[in-house]
Amino acid sequence: MDKPSTLFTGIFGAFLVSTSVMVLLPNSQLSGLQPQIVWEEGQNSPSDMYPVKIEHSLGHRHGERIYVENGCYYCHTQDIRDPQFGPDIERGWGARRTVARDFIYNDTPLLGATRMGPDLGNYGWRDSEGKRFWRNEQPNDPTKPAVRDAAFIYKHLFNPRARTEASNCPSNPGLFEKHDIGAGVSPDAVAVEGKKQWLPTAAARNLAAYLLSLDRSHELKEAPVAKSKEAKK
Amino acid sequence: MTDSQTILLATLPSPPAKAALPPSSIAPAKVAAPAKPAEPQHSNEAIERSIIDQSARGPVLTFFSTAIFWLLVSTVLGYIASKRLHDPDFILGPEWLYRMLGVDGLFRSIFDSNFTYGRVWPAYNTALIYGWCSLAGMGVATWLIGRLCRVAIQAPAVLQLGAWFWNAGVAVGVIMILGGHNTGLEYFEMVRGARVLMFIGYLCIGIWGLILFRYKRTVAPYISVSYLVAGFFLFPWFFGAADLLSSAPTPGVMKNVVNAWYQGGLFNLWFGCLGLASAYYFIPKVINKPIYSYNLAKIGFWGWVFLGGLTAMTKLSGGPVPAYLVTISVAASILSIIPIACLTVNIGRTMIGHTDKMASSPTLRFTYVGTVFFAIAAGLGVLGALRGVDSFTHFTTWDYGVKHTLLMGFFSMVMFGAIYYITPRLVGCEWLSRTFIKLHFLGTAYGGATIIALFLFGGLAAGFTLNESAVDASPSNPGREFIFTNVMANGGWQHVIRTYIGYVFFGVAQIIFAIHFIFMRLRIGQPAGEPTLMSNPGEAH
Ligand code: HEC
Repeated sequence: MDKPSTLFTGIFGAFLVSTSVMVLLPNSQLSGLQPQIVWEEGQNSPSDMYPVKIEHSLGHRHGERIYVENGCYYCHTQDIRDPQFGPDIERGWGARRTVARDFIYNDTPLLGATRMGPDLGNYGWRDSEGKRFWRNEQPNDPTKPAVRDAAFIYKHLFNPRARTEASNCPSNPGLFEKHDIGAGVSPDAVAVEGKKQWLPTAAARNLAAYLLSLDRSHELKEAPVAKSKEAKK
Repeated sequence: MTDSQTILLATLPSPPAKAALPPSSIAPAKVAAPAKPAEPQHSNEAIERSIIDQSARGPVLTFFSTAIFWLLVSTVLGYIASKRLHDPDFILGPEWLYRMLGVDGLFRSIFDSNFTYGRVWPAYNTALIYGWCSLAGMGVATWLIGRLCRVAIQAPAVLQLGAWFWNAGVAVGVIMILGGHNTGLEYFEMVRGARVLMFIGYLCIGIWGLILFRYKRTVAPYISVSYLVAGFFLFPWFFGAADLLSSAPTPGVMKNVVNAWYQGGLFNLWFGCLGLASAYYFIPKVINKPIYSYNLAKIGFWGWVFLGGLTAMTKLSGGPVPAYLVTISVAASILSIIPIACLTVNIGRTMIGHTDKMASSPTLRFTYVGTVFFAIAAGLGVLGALRGVDSFTHFTTWDYGVKHTLLMGFFSMVMFGAIYYITPRLVGCEWLSRTFIKLHFLGTAYGGATIIALFLFGGLAAGFTLNESAVDASPSNPGREFIFTNVMANGGWQHVIRTYIGYVFFGVAQIIFAIHFIFMRLRIGQPAGEPTLMSNPGEAH
């Protein structure tokens, strides 16, 4: 065995090396990140700024919380990678790769663990017609609606298998409540049982709002929007 | 004593006198004779060893029992998580019974909201990593330090207290995760309160580890000592730093970087070091022959300790982090071939001519197979770090496969081997049944290997389809995009086999093991003195 002094010094040295290279160094680089600001001449306020620190409404934060609580990030990433790493952009998951600057206002960026389901990092991003579909979904395919709005998300959250038989995205009946059908079936209702309808709770509404707010397509100088195939769409 | 040691130890409380200790209100340890390290010089070695074993008895058995409890919990959770992937709306247990008892509605709602994949999976990992693996590892390490430094534990109650704090932390963590309190950081999902409890527990345990080392009377020439010190010393730094930095209000991807860094420390340094310490002790011990090369072991040790903390960023390759982090990790991974090779050659060489002993000694069989799994896990880690491989395996279950090779294949196996060796020496009787041990081995090895293989191959398969170009797809030829919409139809078989063969075999084996261990604690077993071998030495070959 080494002398105890050598042993302890060595082990502590290993820790120091690891910490400085893997934590302190990137921290010095990342902690200074600011939003990208564009000034136009003669203006006294920036004409463009990204990302914007909206004082996220309680609802939005709550939605993100629900996303974490239910472990959506084990199956869904929010991390679009450069084309050299895989066809993320080709699939229509995002307009460009995600970079550190996208997350400067995120408490815990939910980059995600696996892609058992599709990437959701730009779920709220829409094409010029206000539509959203994965790259190889055909706009007129009835089983895959091109419009992904809150009502669509509610249905999906309530029971993903209603639309996609072989999906293993978990159903979350806990996010819905039974209500009486008073004046009529609400457009948000996900199921009707006799005189009752299932309606989203506040948690489900906030989660849907959160998902629809995900849009990291704003052009950044370190991550230009990929033009080629997207433009042809 | 050298200077740096003085500095280090100055921060530790001096070993408290017996009277100053907290009353051992929880599970009082029955210490036969308070060992006085100064005395037993003239007594012979066997008596001294039994005194040391007696002093370790209470805490080590507490570690083992609670660890085995968590092992069972985690296997059940693992089964649920795995089954959720091919049968997302199932309920565990006989529904007709629930209906008869009128609790079916309750079960349904608990299962629907608290046991979805996104909650059971982290709960499973927490129970496995912090429950079973860490507790078993600390139990074995406590015993090993006493043995290797030839000191008796003077305040077993402190260790017991530590063990219970740690357990409470894990319990809070797991329950809160199921209840929806998740930090959003993989392998670090426990809420802050749980982490604090665990940390307090660790301080009671780890400081004792270091104090024992400080009061060593001799140090047996085992590289295990270095590994133990490294594991015990590094873990609190990684854990504490990760805790502070993850709770800090600084937003941004630094949290993900810290999390990846912490995972490196957790898997490579904490589990790697504790497991290897045990392997390097028990293999030479059982075959009664020193390790092939001490110098090789030393190179392996230093290589592993320095590189282990640097390899983790491959987890973020292609992600929104500085690219050099990933580059460094890839380089460190490739370099870590050196320590891995040192270890493999060393253990392989030591075992030459002794592999037949595996047929009879459960300790050797578990430990050796575990060590082989270490080489595989580390090798897969290196392979997965390579850019060409990573481009397929990233964001798939491949990573789970590598982690399970380390946790189930390597660490658990080595811990089982150690528990089979240590427990008889603490309770004073030998294991009851060699059939039980055999079944345990078979279930663990084949169940574990199935789980691992399917995570790896499932990951590769998903990776290839994920990487396929999506552009030519059309409704008639929907392309591979729809691995997602067809998870259960196309890739479902892997989840099915993993659940019904992997987790069921593994789980049954652990139930057998748990029953066997309970027998030991009740002192139902063979008379002490003759170790329970898996076959009579004569008939082994
Ligand atoms: C077991 C892994 C898994 C978990 C956990 C999971 N999902 Fe999914 N998710 C999938 C799969 C697979 C798909 C693709 C099949 C489909 O569309 O249903 C998917 C699809 C989706 C879609 C896209 C539907 C579309 O086509 O627009 C959304 C939105 C979604 N999930 C939201 C969530 C949310 C929110 C959570 C957390 C409550 C979650 N998922 C948890 C696996 C998972």
